[in-house]
Amino acid sequence: MAREECKALLDALNKATACYHHLVLTVGSSADSQNLREELQKTRQKAQELAVAARAQLTAALRDRGLGAEERAEFERLWVAFSGCLDLLEADMRRALALGTAFPLHAPRRPLVHTGVTGGAAGIAARALSVRSLRHEAERDFDVNDLRELEREVLQVGEMIHDMEMKVNVPRWTVQARQAAGAELLSGAGASSVGGVSTEGRRRPCDLSKALAAAVFSAVLLVAVALAVCVAKLS
Amino acid sequence: MAAGPAPPGGCPSAQRPHLSKMERVVVSMQDPDQGVKMRSQRLLITVIPHAVAGSDIVEWLIQKYCISEEEALHLGTLLVRHGYLYPLRDPLSLLLQPDDTPYRFQTPYFWTSTQWPAAELDYAIYLAKKNIRKQGALVDHEKEHYNQLHRKISHTWDLVVMQAREQLRAAKQRRKGDRLVIACQEQTFWLVHRPPTKNMDFYRREIEYCRKALGRTRVKSSVCLEAYLKFSSQHGPHDPIMSGCLPSNPWIADSDTYWVVNAPSVAAPTKLRVDRWGFSFRELLEDPVGRAHFMEFLRKEFSAENLSFWEACEELRHGGQAQVPALVDAVYEQFLAPGAARWVNIDSHTMERTLEGLRRPHRYVLDDAQLHIYMLMKKDSYPRFLKSDMYRGLLAEAVVPPETKWRVFPFMRKPRRSSPSPALLASMEPAAAAGGPRGGDGEA
Repeated sequence: MAREECKALLDALNKATACYHHLVLTVGSSADSQNLREELQKTRQKAQELAVAARAQLTAALRDRGLGAEERAEFERLWVAFSGCLDLLEADMRRALALGTAFPLHAPRRPLVHTGVTGGAAGIAARALSVRSLRHEAERDFDVNDLRELEREVLQVGEMIHDMEMKVNVPRWTVQARQAAGAELLSGAGASSVGGVSTEGRRRPCDLSKALAAAVFSAVLLVAVALAVCVAKLS
Repeated sequence: MAAGPAPPGGCPSAQRPHLSKMERVVVSMQDPDQGVKMRSQRLLITVIPHAVAGSDIVEWLIQKYCISEEEALHLGTLLVRHGYLYPLRDPLSLLLQPDDTPYRFQTPYFWTSTQWPAAELDYAIYLAKKNIRKQGALVDHEKEHYNQLHRKISHTWDLVVMQAREQLRAAKQRRKGDRLVIACQEQTFWLVHRPPTKNMDFYRREIEYCRKALGRTRVKSSVCLEAYLKFSSQHGPHDPIMSGCLPSNPWIADSDTYWVVNAPSVAAPTKLRVDRWGFSFRELLEDPVGRAHFMEFLRKEFSAENLSFWEACEELRHGGQAQVPALVDAVYEQFLAPGAARWVNIDSHTMERTLEGLRRPHRYVLDDAQLHIYMLMKKDSYPRFLKSDMYRGLLAEAVVPPETKWRVFPFMRKPRRSSPSPALLASMEPAAAAGGPRGGDGEA
């Protein structure tokens, strides 16, 4: 159904935005490197693809005049979350551009700030792209070209947001969010997002495998104890 | 997303040179040879590098900028208070202790200049993350902020919860040491930008901001646009790009007659210039030739002291700070004192206010009186000047410089004067240097 697809796209976009935020945090610090810039590029390109797909679906749904009131409210809720996510992404991209220009990687004395963060962030980028691991294949001058592309992409995203506002008129103050204050404390509960359901689903097999392992281990332990007792008795 | 009612620190579009200065200091501290000495912080299992001791920072500042210890301490405290350094043991005390207390540098993403203004949505996401991590045990002021934010941006609360969860999950992909450092960084950022106690400074700034906002003049956009159209149509014929310039465009014809004819003080002003004096009083006063003619006119009308007073006030406003007291006294003696030689006619209210202000003279103490005289001249003398014979005479006498004719054959044009090319100059330089002092006055 269109709603489920939209929700899935929105969740993926949300994940990509959160991962991008985490990667931009370290630009200009001691963890900055070619690899990081490449991860940033891959993550933001994925986020943009998802944004375009989600926008197409949501716009199509919201412009459909034959939509019921409840369905419309649901789509408007998704729309507000989607445009907020896109705003966050654009802000982070702008900051990445500013920081990337201010802290070039190839200056003779690299002015990076020693912040104590030294590890790589390949795991985060892999999570955003939903792959197992990431391969780094950038050339030497990657960051300089990348900054130019980033500038163009920032403008593109800005245009997309503007376009969205012009095409679909959703007054934000009329939208009622599903989550109440403190909803984040109920981890995974509530059917408001597919992500919530999937985390519960993922936890159940985990619990199952853990229970199985515990059972096998205790069985082996009992057998070993029984054998030892037999050996002790026999000898 | 939109910022709060008053962005902390005043108007966001104002320049913040103090931030870029602090950033330069921080970046120069990172120099591997001449920067601050870095140590490692040892926690139970993890070791996190890049910690600095407070005493090291003070020492480095003293050495690099040749300042006293007190000043270095103050500078260091400013760095901490603006969030460029943060203490590792006691994150709530934003001071620089000149002893062994460890500090660490803030990542550029969380610098004040990158994140201006600190957005409410980001703060909401941060509080939601903290809520999840601490299982609902937020500090008092954070709880207050959380409820406030929920009321304000309740429509995006879905996004807040989603992002908070995802950001926490993404953070789990990092090593433990990195995770700790990033959490500290974010915490410091929000301590600086949403301080727990709203002290006097904060309220004073809020009041100032609201007062300025109320005092701003608001004009209807229709009135604005009409004024803009009027200005454009009036000044259209006077613009050298839109309507061509006489005698010729200096950049095309390579002759500077245009600038010579329109010099600030020229004996025979052009017709366009004299026309402009009729547009507004400000144009007349800004043009030195116009001002001189206006002064002559006022002399005939026996009200020249108005313009002299206005000019003296302008000099006071834009002059040097050291001359302010002497100038104020001189102006008072000449124009405002009861039996002064050139007494100006100011109404009693303004005179009272000015005399009171004169007890503590500063640059803008005569502003009220100056404005009064300016409006007097504008409403009274200026219309009479425009109707006077003198102005009509000036209009009649004004020259219209003839347009230079384009010569038909290009090679008959005046030879263009070319400046020496930089390549030639550069090659002449070593020759002159090799010539030595015997070369005498250089050729370059």
